[in-house]
Amino acid sequence: MPTIAVVILVLFSAALAGVIVVRPAITASRAGKIVAFGVFFFLPVFSLLAGMENEMRRSESTAFCLSCHIMEPYGKSLHIDDPSYLAGAHYQNHRVPADQACYTCHTDYAMFGTFRAKLGGLRHLYIYYLGKPPLPQDIKLYKPFNNRECLHCHLGARSFEQGATHNADPATLPAIKAGTLSCISSGCHDVVHNVGRWGDKVKFWDGGS
Amino acid sequence: MGKRLRVLGVLVILGLLVEALCLVWSKPIAFVVLVGVGGALIGLGVLFFLYSLVFAPHQPTETSGVVPDN
Repeated sequence: MPTIAVVILVLFSAALAGVIVVRPAITASRAGKIVAFGVFFFLPVFSLLAGMENEMRRSESTAFCLSCHIMEPYGKSLHIDDPSYLAGAHYQNHRVPADQACYTCHTDYAMFGTFRAKLGGLRHLYIYYLGKPPLPQDIKLYKPFNNRECLHCHLGARSFEQGATHNADPATLPAIKAGTLSCISSGCHDVVHNVGRWGDKVKFWDGGS
Repeated sequence: MGKRLRVLGVLVILGLLVEALCLVWSKPIAFVVLVGVGGALIGLGVLFFLYSLVFAPHQPTETSGVVPDN
């Protein structure tokens, strides 16, 4: 449901509740009691669930992630005009949805992965507002990036399965698929965001969304 | 019941207004405020309403207590 529709629903529910608060005598009749049940039980619960679902969906957006100052350089890295930068190359070529760029790579594609990602988000919020947030260049992943998140899209793709580098050694592809050879820390795709190590020569692509 | 309705109604309205504000407030903390404050107010209001329904004082209906006159 679009945000504006949820806001209208919420305000409509509040207005109906306001009518009953001002004129509680409405609920004296049987029909009034049914209306009261809708206004004080069904509508608030439905509005709250719709609002939570809306916020959950919004939390998957690139704009949401980049709304914290600490994430600004990571957002900027998506616009680096250099195909060796993995995050930028994925974002600029729409290998990931541009409006869900962070979430697409950094969620967990295992069972309850979305739930774990949301819990991680709450932890980020706690550190950001109540803790001592690190400098952007000092941010580290909680655990090494799992090949599973890359293979979620790339497994079976011709460019991956028949890629020259992936097949130069017959042991490479099985090792990538088994997760024993990391995609990003093996000297292959190890330039991801590289925040804090861009240097002066890096250029930015100003197209895209 | 009238006073109870007013109290729980105010709780629900406050919760809904907090929710509306959070929906248009595009900051990550909005979700926590929506669930923590808005959700708590709405939840309290709804629970109070259900409590009021269950423990409402008995009001005799038109037929209660009437012995058929044969």
